[in-house]
Amino acid sequence: MAETEKLIIDGKRLDGRSPTDIRPLRIEAGVIPEADGSAFVEWGGNKIVCGVHGPRECIPRHGANPYQATLKCRYMMSPFASMEEHGRSGPSRRSTELSKVIREAFENVVLLERFPNTQIDIFIDVLQADGGTRTASVTAAAVALANAGIPMKDMVNSVAVGKADGVVISDLSKAEDNAGQSDMPLAFSHKDKKLLLFQMDGLLTREEVAKGLEMAEVSAGLVHEKQEAALKRIYEEGKKKFTL
Amino acid sequence: MEKRIIMPGEKIAEGIVRVPNTYVEGDATYAAVIGTLDDSGKYIPLENRYRPSMGDVIVGMVTDVRHAGYEVDVNLPEGGFISTRVIKIKLEFGDFVICKVREVTETGDVELSEVRRLPKGKVVQFPTAKIPRLIGRKSSMIEMLKQYSGGDIVVGNNGMVWLSEKCDIPLLLKSMNMIDENAHTSGLTDRMKEFLEANGTRTVPEQIEEEHIDEGEMNG
Amino acid sequence: MSDEVKDIIMSNIRKDVMLKTLETGKRYDGRAMDEFRPAEVHKGVIGTAEGSAIANIGETQVLASVKFDIMTPFPDRPTMGVFMTNSELLPLASPIFETGPPREDSIELARVVDRGIRSAEIIDLESFFIEEEKVLGLFIDLYVLNHAGNYTDTSMLAASAALTDTKVPKVEDGKIIRGEYKGPLELGPMPFSTTFVNVGGNWLVDPTRDEELVEDTVITIATTDKHVCSAQKGKGSLSKEELMANIDIAFNKGNEQRKIVQG
Repeated sequence: MAETEKLIIDGKRLDGRSPTDIRPLRIEAGVIPEADGSAFVEWGGNKIVCGVHGPRECIPRHGANPYQATLKCRYMMSPFASMEEHGRSGPSRRSTELSKVIREAFENVVLLERFPNTQIDIFIDVLQADGGTRTASVTAAAVALANAGIPMKDMVNSVAVGKADGVVISDLSKAEDNAGQSDMPLAFSHKDKKLLLFQMDGLLTREEVAKGLEMAEVSAGLVHEKQEAALKRIYEEGKKKFTL
Repeated sequence: MEKRIIMPGEKIAEGIVRVPNTYVEGDATYAAVIGTLDDSGKYIPLENRYRPSMGDVIVGMVTDVRHAGYEVDVNLPEGGFISTRVIKIKLEFGDFVICKVREVTETGDVELSEVRRLPKGKVVQFPTAKIPRLIGRKSSMIEMLKQYSGGDIVVGNNGMVWLSEKCDIPLLLKSMNMIDENAHTSGLTDRMKEFLEANGTRTVPEQIEEEHIDEGEMNG
Repeated sequence: MSDEVKDIIMSNIRKDVMLKTLETGKRYDGRAMDEFRPAEVHKGVIGTAEGSAIANIGETQVLASVKFDIMTPFPDRPTMGVFMTNSELLPLASPIFETGPPREDSIELARVVDRGIRSAEIIDLESFFIEEEKVLGLFIDLYVLNHAGNYTDTSMLAASAALTDTKVPKVEDGKIIRGEYKGPLELGPMPFSTTFVNVGGNWLVDPTRDEELVEDTVITIATTDKHVCSAQKGKGSLSKEELMANIDIAFNKGNEQRKIVQG
């Protein structure tokens, strides 16, 4: 078996980051005027746009819940999002799973009972993928929901931690995701720091999980700052045309 | 008065304050939507999703005519309903109406009353959180818009705004856009006055009889 | 009353009111009848594609991406590369776009843009030949990101801009070496389109959503610098004289867009 490439050399990751650094993160809110709320997230090489519509009429009508809004989430990977081949359009098993865990994160914070018999749609389109699309998607969706004025108990921030070459690291790059030893994406409610999204694969000791969670809290705090700044910017600087 | 922008989940008061777009947890009240909070503890949402309450003034469009009454599109997920018992005139599909919210049921159905038909015009949507700004303190903003537009305007709490076909619609649309984008700033009424004086002609618009619409204020 | 009848009644009500404004020579957004909304393009926005661009016409926004793959050629054209165009009316872009398989509007958009590019013969498909049974295939993806009217012209603009941004990848041993390029895609004069709607006798260029909702007739005309290269009439009808007048306008508007992409 060929010797695997090292991901961490002299304490530095391949892209020069320390284990706790997150990749450059840019967030813009209110980028899709026709959506009720929207956000664009550029995180490392990820470019993700999210648009929220609702509360609106539930389709199909028989799917409506008479006590609360139905939250729907569609996470989609564009066929041009990866450096490799042109992918196929449409949902995949992976995108279906991600749509579910992202929806379940927000079901914890959106005040659904205030809008019975309606649906709220979260549409996430990954235009460029670079590892950590689901955490970037959650980050975008929280901003889009706040931008829409959809009532929530809390803001949600998200980051993936993991392990590469035996070192616990924050915000895995695509290379670290593919070749590392563990990937643990998660999302927090900002105020209570409850885990709203939590998945992992690979092998981690109990201590490594604890260390990862600590690191994640710090990184997620940085993400929250960027989310807040993006939302405030609309009012401080006015609406601007955005570009990728 | 210092004002800062706050995120959903931020505390707006110790103790329980029943104000729209907030929620109560334990002994404190928190913002549920992005809004401003000033030193005196006043919280004003910057964006919201409209939830009708009794007494709200609504602009709508008749979308179905049935024996028992009329279904009305009021820019809500659930339509509004006008029972034939509360209205004497016959409405038709496509009619614009101004009415009041008589009742909101548990399941979100909106019953309407005090219905009057509006003449020919265009209905546009305006963000509901900013409707108080469109109306202005003591209706100052909306009255100014009417004066320069040549026609009547009716603002619904539900974010539907009716513009009479006699209005200078391009001027009004541009003005409403400016108000939308600058709703959170101060001195807006003065700036709008300058804009209207430069781009519109002051007239005495033809008025339809209308009831007093609830005012609100967002900024100075 | 059926939904179609309701749509017609609403459309007529809206049209009546709009005609009053059109009589003053202006449209709801203050434009003249033959005026486009401000347009701009940004190229190279998707690093994972071999070419890309975002186009804005007013607030309508479309992303076009160009990617290459190795494909087998069509049996009747064994030495020619292939290209195909796909479009997505993203549900985030408008409350009227739904999720699900592509419907007639999305399919029509892809085919109209595809026809414009194919007829203009701007891509030398022979240069895509690699070896027997292997050619380069070019995928154009049109993603409508915000629908404020006329996503057709915006898509055409984005596609042409994306093609001018495109680099042909290196091919070695019948495989694409991603990230390494032979050179820019060689192109002829790009196609650009102009969409016209007729509202109660008034021809309007580059319709907004409001105007699309009340259109009696709609026609899109794509032009290169010298030729009409594709046309698509949707609902309604028009006379030969109206068509010729629109073609003249389309050449002008096409050249305006050409300057934006080349500039």
